[in-house]
Amino acid sequence: MKACLSFSDILEVGQPQIQEMQRIGDAYPAADVPGACVALTRQVRIVEGIVVQTYGVAASLARKAEDLNEIAEIWSRMSFFCRSALNTLSSLKHKYPYCGTPELYDMVLDYKLACEKRYKGVMEELACQSTSFPKGLLPEMK
Amino acid sequence: MPEHELPEGIITRDEVAELALLFDRYEFAFDPRSIAAKEAESDFEESIRLFFAERVQPRFPSISFVTFHCRIKSLCRAYLRKNAP
Repeated sequence: MKACLSFSDILEVGQPQIQEMQRIGDAYPAADVPGACVALTRQVRIVEGIVVQTYGVAASLARKAEDLNEIAEIWSRMSFFCRSALNTLSSLKHKYPYCGTPELYDMVLDYKLACEKRYKGVMEELACQSTSFPKGLLPEMK
Repeated sequence: MPEHELPEGIITRDEVAELALLFDRYEFAFDPRSIAAKEAESDFEESIRLFFAERVQPRFPSISFVTFHCRIKSLCRAYLRKNAP
């Protein structure tokens, strides 16, 4: 099979599910309305799966990429994706506190912090590239 | 020239390989919250601190810890790209 997806495509696939979570959250006046929590919990699980899966794709791409600028971009975009989910969850976790939203908020926040940490690390590596290193410190590699 | 004939450093190729494995386990972990990833990161950082204090600082005082840390990570990335599982 020759068809393939870019990381941008994968991020785009996930975005509507975050919007759907917001739509469901807005569709009910309160969490105790019959069916509200069930519907939102279902969507929370979908978004959770998407964040986990997309993060895994980002990690795989970052491992394979040769250019540090490309790796920085991967983590930056993944962080932005997490931020998008957090923006939606920040209001939903108060309106639906017993429908899995606080747990998902905490998880996505941890993933976002992991992205930012990796991004910062890559930027430090980029800054270090111009520093000359004495011979004999590190092994020479092909 | 085969790699094993290239000059070693005070940090050896085998040590870079071990550091790269730890780096791989946390930097590219699918679950950044996993205990395995956190332990690997802790072991990696501890090794780097030890190498720096015992071998780098005494012989190369002009190299800062931050610079050494960055360069080791870049070396680990290069190692992993060449030695994909």
